Amino acid sequence: MNSNRREFLALAGAASVAGFAGFNGGRDKQPKAASKLPLAGQTSAVVVVKAASYSKDLADAMLRGILECELDVAGKTVLLKPNFVEFDPNTCINTDVAVVATALEVFRSLGAADVKIGEGPGHRRDTLAIAELTRYRSEIPNFDDVFVDLNRDDVTGVKGFAGRDEFYFPNSVLSADIVVSLAKMKTHHWAGATLSMKNFFGLVPGSIYGWPKNELHHIGIDTAIVELTRAFGPKSFALVDGIVGMEGNGPIQGTRKQAGVLVMGSDLAAVDATCCRIMGIDPTRVGYLQKAADQLGIIEESRIEQRGEAIKGLRTNFELIKEFSQLRLA
Amino acid sequence: MAGHTSDSKSYLGARLAVLRNTQNPDGGWGYFAGKSSWLEPTAYAALALAGEPAADRAWKLLSSWQLPDGSWKPAAGVQVSSWGTSLCATIAMVRDEWGQPLQNGVKWLVGSSGVESGWLNVVAARLRLVRQERDVALKSWPWKPGNSGWVEPTVHALVALKQASSKISSGELRGRVQMGEAQLMDVRSRDGGWNYGSPAALGVDLPSYPETTALALLALQGHDDLGKAFDLARRQMGETPSPMARAWLTIAMRLHGVKPGELNGDPQSDLMITAIEALAAPEGNYHVMRTAGAAA
Repeated sequence: MNSNRREFLALAGAASVAGFAGFNGGRDKQPKAASKLPLAGQTSAVVVVKAASYSKDLADAMLRGILECELDVAGKTVLLKPNFVEFDPNTCINTDVAVVATALEVFRSLGAADVKIGEGPGHRRDTLAIAELTRYRSEIPNFDDVFVDLNRDDVTGVKGFAGRDEFYFPNSVLSADIVVSLAKMKTHHWAGATLSMKNFFGLVPGSIYGWPKNELHHIGIDTAIVELTRAFGPKSFALVDGIVGMEGNGPIQGTRKQAGVLVMGSDLAAVDATCCRIMGIDPTRVGYLQKAADQLGIIEESRIEQRGEAIKGLRTNFELIKEFSQLRLA
Repeated sequence: MAGHTSDSKSYLGARLAVLRNTQNPDGGWGYFAGKSSWLEPTAYAALALAGEPAADRAWKLLSSWQLPDGSWKPAAGVQVSSWGTSLCATIAMVRDEWGQPLQNGVKWLVGSSGVESGWLNVVAARLRLVRQERDVALKSWPWKPGNSGWVEPTVHALVALKQASSKISSGELRGRVQMGEAQLMDVRSRDGGWNYGSPAALGVDLPSYPETTALALLALQGHDDLGKAFDLARRQMGETPSPMARAWLTIAMRLHGVKPGELNGDPQSDLMITAIEALAAPEGNYHVMRTAGAAA
């Protein structure tokens, strides 16, 4: 299935939640020829660290990974962007609270001038109630003081995002020196997989674009993921919670899947491609990674410099819904 | 108008005191204290404080945000037409201001609908070219133009248009109200409540949420076929940790003549929720959301 077709189906599926969005929605120009792409021939580093659970040596594992990535946060303002969307006690939708709490401490310990947590949940209006259910509010010290609801932050217009004359983003995102995409390793029933790039949907303010961020579906899910990465990827760092991920009908109604890893790097596409390989998904068949390849990051396995654990022994196939069965890595 | 209590220790008084103390110099409220004014918290605060000078200042600000097409923008610096037009129309009617600004807002609302109901999509759905979990021929309202329709903006549009229908005689308006109510019933979840837009995704049932269930009940005042939804609403009221959901559930129950549970707790840092909670209080202004009932 080509990416346009796949994106069209994803859009049609997304639109079916509230109605079909339009026949042309999500269709894109063909990717540029490989030789002309800006990152052609370059390499990226990705670090994979084993982490068997959320309790044991999490800070040490995270710190090792960040240092291995040579990320310099000293004196910088950092916005941690977890994925918390919804709560269901029977599954694991959100970036685990232990990962977020640990990241807060680790980035502070690395000398960041300020570390905030920001998220704009896509479904639910009462963000703090979700934070309560996910135990963010009870287990992250002074959560209300460090948290920014990106759905309802003050905003600034940005020209030219995804072909829009003006698109509004939260000031807390625009002003941060580093955005850390603290994503959850999950399958996704419109996009195939949701990882550090897709996690940026939560940067879009619901106060203007609603719940869910329907404007992004009309831009086209794959295109929107790519454009958000184009806008914020250069100042971002990815840290994917793959200790326990979600397989099947993700990102909300899937089931738990233990992968036992944290995956990190400054090239979000490379991190997501590596996560895909761990999940048994072929990243070259994931629409948004196809579009990002060599434009925004590296997805080719031979050009990703793997640090930490070798991914070969870590692969654990995540169950895929039939609409995405063709993504299975050979 | 209710809502003039000066007892800052009561549930309502504490919330009104917070609102009075956090109004921005421009007359509006941010979602949180000290932040820029936005339409949504300003509108709910203005309704909660209706009759007070603070509400007049808020309305003056909101009035300056009406766009030439009749819609309202969501904040001073955001040049986008917004679903919040419905809330501004409701405020105008609460203030008994039925002049041109309201007429223009109502006209904009009547002409607004989710893109899924465009003729091409309706035909595609009829021909089963795309999977649909709902009847796209039934028009609903989007958060902003060019997007699909969702429960929450549909609810507020229905409340405003049903209120407007008491004085504005228009077949088109009545038709949109009837269709909007039918649309809400069409997207009801199997459990009797409402999710945020559809009862299912990819053929898998979606559960209802307390806040959207409450809002849908608000829009369906006058319907007498909602019994199961109230059983669910009572259960959600006891289970949800969301003060916003509890407040909306309370407002919906009061307007349907159903006795709600007791509200308690301190005001939130979230000023929008504080304002909705103030509306929900027994002596609060929840009746500003009252409509004449189901469309004839």
